[in-house]
Amino acid sequence: MNNNFIPSPAKICEIIHENEQISTFRLKLINTSIPFSFLPGQFLMLSVPHCGEAAISISSSPTALPIIDLSIRKAGTLTNAMHMMKAGNQVGIRGPYGNPFPMKNFVNRDLLFVAGGIGLAPLKSVIDYCLFHSNSVHDAAQSITLLYGSRSPSDIAFQSVTSNWQEQGVNCRLTVDEADTDWQGNVGLVTDLLPRHNVTDNTTALVCGPPVMIRFIIAQLSAMGCQDEAIFTTLERHMKCGVGTCGHCHLDGKMVCMDGPVFSLSQLKTMDVMELAQ
Amino acid sequence: MIDLKELILSKDNLIPLLRKLKKDARLIAPIKNEYGDTLFSEIDDIDAMKIDLHNQPQASLKPFFLPQQETLAGYTVNNGEYSFTPPDKAQDTIFFGVRSCDLTALLYMDLIFSKPSKDATYYDRRNHSLIITLGCNQPFANCFCEATGSGPYLEYGYGLQFIDLGDRYFVSAGRGKGADLLKKWAYFFREVNEEDQKKRYQLFLEARGQFTRNIQVAHACQKLQEEAVPEEIWETLSRRCYDCGGCAYVCPTCTCYSIDDMAQGTNHGIRVRSWDACTSSGFTRMAGGHNPTDRSRYALKRRFLHKLKHDYAHHGKPSCTGCGRCVDICFGGVDITTFIDLLTTQKTT
Repeated sequence: MNNNFIPSPAKICEIIHENEQISTFRLKLINTSIPFSFLPGQFLMLSVPHCGEAAISISSSPTALPIIDLSIRKAGTLTNAMHMMKAGNQVGIRGPYGNPFPMKNFVNRDLLFVAGGIGLAPLKSVIDYCLFHSNSVHDAAQSITLLYGSRSPSDIAFQSVTSNWQEQGVNCRLTVDEADTDWQGNVGLVTDLLPRHNVTDNTTALVCGPPVMIRFIIAQLSAMGCQDEAIFTTLERHMKCGVGTCGHCHLDGKMVCMDGPVFSLSQLKTMDVMELAQ
Repeated sequence: MIDLKELILSKDNLIPLLRKLKKDARLIAPIKNEYGDTLFSEIDDIDAMKIDLHNQPQASLKPFFLPQQETLAGYTVNNGEYSFTPPDKAQDTIFFGVRSCDLTALLYMDLIFSKPSKDATYYDRRNHSLIITLGCNQPFANCFCEATGSGPYLEYGYGLQFIDLGDRYFVSAGRGKGADLLKKWAYFFREVNEEDQKKRYQLFLEARGQFTRNIQVAHACQKLQEEAVPEEIWETLSRRCYDCGGCAYVCPTCTCYSIDDMAQGTNHGIRVRSWDACTSSGFTRMAGGHNPTDRSRYALKRRFLHKLKHDYAHHGKPSCTGCGRCVDICFGGVDITTFIDLLTTQKTT
């Protein structure tokens, strides 16, 4: 009998404090003989003792396996309990679930990532994956640009990651809604950064962040000439099962956990989606 | 050699047959309890309990396959080790007196819980079950199964289908367990004759003529494929929905659920799956409070579109089986028949 809902225990090997709200939990499965693989954009159902489960995107690249990173913002009971965990503690995971980003379509493309807050987590997996393949003739993207918005300088997550990406040739542009006295960088919404960048026929855009950000960025990208098939986002919805039966993520005839969470704009346009609402 | 697919059972032989069946499996049938409610219940003593085949069971078979609350796993945290144990196994169960609508609903649940892989606890129970249905010769007050294509008699899906011919039952066997059962207990039955066939057909025609409600289900499904529902219909319905979840709980095809942990001590607990209702305000709310559904306007949109639009598009038929239970339970009067009536009588602009 296939026990669909029995998680596999995993150990927290390391906790990377990203900011006051977000930490990255570096996990390894206890039973290393369990076959586990995934692609960027997929998610796990994470179990924390006595707290049930929550759907969390994998923020590391599959090329980093057996290490699995989950970058988690304190948002509710489970995520707050997760932030109380220490290195060496165990959690449960099952998955991976959902459709990944179509990585093969990104070869030789100019990739434009637009992220807000914790929305960078699923995109980080894609960027790391692309950078791993950057020296490969057959698998490399043409260029990688990241536009990343945070509320304030202290809300910026993945600081060391972005500076590391910059060194590897990623064009990283950070912006904050509100500056503090030390902030030297850009101030304003991530939507203000976008018009300064070129969108061509070869651009593929990957967008993740708050729904309102997704809505405005997608509208901007379309206005700048980006094709519907070349704009991707990943949707966040309340989920309980991950396998398309609990009904919570039902979206106009589709299940976000099974048919998404990654959708192209051309797919989204056929659905009644909050992220595209006027 | 007699044909084992269709046989006649004298009503005098019903209890003796059920007594035999009960020796090998748990027996569940509609029983009227002390409060006057007819509910599917386990039969301990077949001579002491009165099987009620005259009233519609107030709950469907759903609780026996997707229980209101069930344990999916046990968990323990011991010296930092977090481990899980599988749930209890199902036992062989025979259901007797199941109505056509409720078996149709079960066949729909089979579909839902088969993808992407078979749901372990659901299919464990399903594989250990045999369903004996009773065709309806007289629809109940709110029934409209003829409009949903799920009654009053069934063509397939049952282990055995009983049709009441007065002093006897006309029994049809499905494939597998049902046919095996007829073979095993053949001495309770006699062969079908021409008069039995005629009587069965006559009762079927009469039953179809007795529906008092004319619900335009097919028209509604078709219309939903072609055009959007006017906003005022959603708003009218939402104003009268009180977030009780009753419709989803009594519905034999509402399968939405939640999964939560129930601690049973500091170091252990159980992971529980329980019924949920998409009409409830917290159904789509995410951690942090963001909610993609505006309940004040669209409380019932997801439920009705799922059953009549999306399932019709995916499976070729709606996932409403016309059992009418939501009509009884909804004190706001905004059950699925209200929606279908509003939609189908509304003029196309």
